[in-house]
Amino acid sequence: MVECEFPECTTFGAVIRFALELEKGAAGVYEELSKEPRAAAAAETFKAMAAAHKKRGDLLEFTRQQKLNEMILEPIQDIKRENYLIDTRTPKGSDVKAAARFAGKIEETSAKFYLDSAKIAKMLMAEAARVMDKLGKENQANKAKLDAL
Amino acid sequence: MFERPPPRFSSSVVRVFPGRYKVLWPCNARGWHRRIDRMTLLSEVKKDYGKLKNFVNGEWIDSTSDKVIDIENPSTGEVIGKLPMSTVEETKAAIDAAHEAWWAWRETPPITRGRLFFRLKELMEQNFEDVARIMVQEQGKTIDEARGETRRTIENVEVAAGIPSLMMGYSLEDGGAEGIDEDAIISPLGVFAAICPFNFPAMIPYWFWPYAVASGNTYIVKPSSQVPLTQNYLTKLVEQAGFPPGVLNIVNGSHEVSDTLMEHPKVKGISFVGSSPVAKYIYKKSAENGKRVQAQGGAKNSLVVMPDAVLERTVSNMLASYYGCAGQRCLAGSNLVAIGDIAEPLLKKWVERSKLIKMGYGLDESVNMGPVVSAKAKKKVIEYIDSAETEGAKILLDGRKAKVPGYEKGHFVGPTVIDQVTPDMKVAKEEIFGPVVTYLRMDSMDEAIDFIHSSPFGNAASIYTQSGKWARDFRYKVQCGNIGINVGVVAAMAYFPFAGYKDSFFGDLHGQGQDAIKFFTDRKVVITRWF
Repeated sequence: MVECEFPECTTFGAVIRFALELEKGAAGVYEELSKEPRAAAAAETFKAMAAAHKKRGDLLEFTRQQKLNEMILEPIQDIKRENYLIDTRTPKGSDVKAAARFAGKIEETSAKFYLDSAKIAKMLMAEAARVMDKLGKENQANKAKLDAL
Repeated sequence: MFERPPPRFSSSVVRVFPGRYKVLWPCNARGWHRRIDRMTLLSEVKKDYGKLKNFVNGEWIDSTSDKVIDIENPSTGEVIGKLPMSTVEETKAAIDAAHEAWWAWRETPPITRGRLFFRLKELMEQNFEDVARIMVQEQGKTIDEARGETRRTIENVEVAAGIPSLMMGYSLEDGGAEGIDEDAIISPLGVFAAICPFNFPAMIPYWFWPYAVASGNTYIVKPSSQVPLTQNYLTKLVEQAGFPPGVLNIVNGSHEVSDTLMEHPKVKGISFVGSSPVAKYIYKKSAENGKRVQAQGGAKNSLVVMPDAVLERTVSNMLASYYGCAGQRCLAGSNLVAIGDIAEPLLKKWVERSKLIKMGYGLDESVNMGPVVSAKAKKKVIEYIDSAETEGAKILLDGRKAKVPGYEKGHFVGPTVIDQVTPDMKVAKEEIFGPVVTYLRMDSMDEAIDFIHSSPFGNAASIYTQSGKWARDFRYKVQCGNIGINVGVVAAMAYFPFAGYKDSFFGDLHGQGQDAIKFFTDRKVVITRWF
């Protein structure tokens, strides 16, 4: 199990924190799935996915540091964290299909989080919104890749 | 196919700390339901910063003063450091060091000076999070606000790094007569100093010193005695970047330091940010002593909402203005002026959304608003709210008794909305410097502009509208240094000048950007003729 701490998404920093937790959770789950003997055929794919999610974490930290504009730090009052929680209890003994299905749910939820956040961030910080939008679309692509396994 | 053991407890979400939750998932066969009791805040850089030293001539020196004050964390009430009240002699030693360093620094080519600022920028990026967290600890702002301030601080360094372009002079061939050329050279002047306030511990000194030093002057910063930690930390990065000894000096303390800086003949100019009465004093005293002065004072900013404003977006944006930094910005909204029939729906939405503002220790990333800076500041804000009540206004949302569980010693004042305020009331006229919204209703934009002009302050004013005509008229007519059109925090970026009008600013050249370069340099005209 990968332990995640999801804050309420009431500030720009909290939204980024939530996203970082999503990435940590996803990377951890993929790492665990890559070690599943019955899913060995997809181990390399899962390892690559884990690495990609870690890299996305770096992008988020960069965004937090570089794209934050003190002038327009509005409170965020319309992202409900409960809609975007992910299950990081990696199932044991999964075969490729089951593992992909499990990871696919994480990608789906993450995509929804990023694309919803992008809409809100667009009003606040267009540059951050572009990053969120990119990440959400990557999640969708990942989901499609997993569905094809 | 995998099998998951049946859970004894379903996964659940538990609130473990104000604003933060843990997702509890079953985790193993024995301790099937693992409980995590407490969500951690972002870590503090240090619990105790000890007694601060002065930075003079490239060395960290203990003050000999026996007068020492506590540095308090306004969220927790804990003492996190000690600040010496440096003596007159110690201040003079810093001035001498800066003066000694000046000529060699002035002879250092601008491109070389600029490179040191590139190095400093890199160090600030590397230590970004520490700078922001120290600021939260000593000032009480939220981590987002502190990160935003750190970014703005760095932006000033970035702009100053372009000094070779910024301080170029100009020439005119045959400018004197045929065969006689004329050049204007931009030259540094010597030692400058800044006397800084508590609300932006990192950024405000950086409105000044990077421009001064980049253009070949040397500098002394007196940080606010309430929030000296961030500036002291940043100065360690300046030292690490390799600025020569004496180029930047830090003297901690209070009015003895300020007075010495203002009186000393070797100091060429003073930059100040604070309240208007003090700004006026600084301006007068420094000018009497023959110095250049830029003294930024207080504010009473009005945000005017026209009937055609986009309600939802307007409210969201204004929340940042009134409650950001707990209302302790000189650019914070204070009076909220509703024009015509938007007054009722706006007020309803404003109160609804204000109630959702979450207070707490700024190291909790989900917190929207921290405390005010001190018990004294809190008392002052509460007195203003009391006065509104006495004068007949109606308190719709009352932050006077706000408490944050776990932070009972913090100086929290909750979001406060005061309705039925009239222009003659004290709360409509004076600077409150807290999260207090004074709500006024008017019939027209012209009435609102007259009201804005009745204030002795002229720092900022904003209008919320979809009408280009109204926006243009507002921008044209309003006599304030910073005008917002659908923007509630009109904070000029580093490459634009920043200051107010009227009693919000005493001086002529503003902080930041080209104005800062002009303040810290003089024009020398050279007329050349060759026989």
